[in-house]
Amino acid sequence: METLQTLFGLWEDTGFHNVSWENLIMILLGIFLVFLAIRYSYKPLLLIPLGMGVILGNIPFLHEAAYHPGIYQEGSVLNYLFFGVLKGIYPALIFLGLGAMTDLSPLISNPKLMLLGAAAQVGIFASFLGAMVFGFPMAESAAIAIIGGADGNTAIFLTSQLANGLHAAGSGMNIQNLIGPVAIAAYIYMSLVPVIQPPIMKLLTTKKERLIRMAPPRTVSKFEKILFPLLGLLLSTFVAPASLPLLGMFFFGNILKESGLTKQLATTASTILIDIVLILIGLTVGASTQADVFLKWESILIFVLGAIAFMVATAGGIIFAKVMNIFLKKENQINPLIGAAGVAAVPDSARIAHEMGMKEDPTNHLITHAMAPNIAGLIGSAITAGLLLGFLL
Amino acid sequence: MKILTITFDLSLIDQYTLVITIAGYCIVLLALAIMAYFFTRLHTLQDFLTKRRLAVQNNASKEESPKVVMTGEENAAIAAALYLFFSELHDEEKYVMTIRKVSKTYSPWNSKIYGIWNTMKHW
Repeated sequence: METLQTLFGLWEDTGFHNVSWENLIMILLGIFLVFLAIRYSYKPLLLIPLGMGVILGNIPFLHEAAYHPGIYQEGSVLNYLFFGVLKGIYPALIFLGLGAMTDLSPLISNPKLMLLGAAAQVGIFASFLGAMVFGFPMAESAAIAIIGGADGNTAIFLTSQLANGLHAAGSGMNIQNLIGPVAIAAYIYMSLVPVIQPPIMKLLTTKKERLIRMAPPRTVSKFEKILFPLLGLLLSTFVAPASLPLLGMFFFGNILKESGLTKQLATTASTILIDIVLILIGLTVGASTQADVFLKWESILIFVLGAIAFMVATAGGIIFAKVMNIFLKKENQINPLIGAAGVAAVPDSARIAHEMGMKEDPTNHLITHAMAPNIAGLIGSAITAGLLLGFLL
Repeated sequence: MKILTITFDLSLIDQYTLVITIAGYCIVLLALAIMAYFFTRLHTLQDFLTKRRLAVQNNASKEESPKVVMTGEENAAIAAALYLFFSELHDEEKYVMTIRKVSKTYSPWNSKIYGIWNTMKHW
């Protein structure tokens, strides 16, 4: 009899006994993400850890058991790794790596293109209003809206601070844990840049505008390259101190690169360190999408609002470039295609702007110009995240 | 209007939400505009300073260097010397082959008589 009870206990422990259809759906979603990454090479560095994380986080187990394998169970391995997401450590380290690998010369050589990066932030604020209309509390609305910045790390950073399921809103309303849905939506839209952006770019520009040839960027001195991160850091963090973990690390990484004296540190930050953090952030964010947290109608709405935010941001950058052209001399005209690169999907949206330009005129290379609003978009979305944190925490 | 459990209500956008939206967007735009303005001015300033430095250097070098007056004959001599120098770069070779005898000091280290096979023959 005891043997039978032991065997039954063992059966109760297995995933076969505890599985639910929600778990299976999520496991299929994880497999789909891995498939997307391997079959179509859509952001494999992000989607493979993320997809595997989704599978890992949805393996069914007995919640009352003495062991704790779940990501939300205190003391489990995944729970410890998830700490880096909850406290915003991983996004900050990724920004360090990004800073160490980014050449800011295109931005310094043509500073007016920074405005395109700022203009694209309209997507975030528009979907903030949209999420509010759909009844999301303010903190959740801000977390959803940041998807429009098209930068997964900023999205994870802001969501981990505002909508991690731990804080309560001022009105006493419970705040849901949206880290999983927001991060997955942000990463998916980042990988779908080549699908989402081109139709909007074509719709909002004429053939004549797409053929605009921009003046080649000037050479940037080392003095300017060193001064930019210092001043950028001071200005952006003075405006939005809450963006310090992201922008502080970004500009610190850039100084490591541009000083020319700390090549080893810059190389480590931009290669080994960023790779380690990408593994951890992808896996843990994926694992945080447990069926009971993720499979809700709100998640679908988050995906829809995120897509709108992303599209509005793209349109905002393009329209702003067209408006700028009204005031610029003929020789300084901006090709509006690069306005779409104002979203922070670095460097994908810049590459798309370049490819769209090349389709119209194979000799018109826009990549260098498009990198400027792209980097400005990254900085702009981090400032926006800082401002939203400042307003809402 | 209700979409499942999700509300759709425009009145949820209150004054505070509008302030966050408008002020937030304006601040981001302004912050990046200030950065853009500063770096545009910085470049202009740097150009001005570089031009000024070059002008000062030019003036200094003009003052320091003594005025050199060269006659036509001297110029012609220099030109002829340069012409001869550059045209003689591929001069005719002597076509004499020299065989240099290399003498090596004897060393037992590579001597065949001390090879391992010779030693083994005696076993």
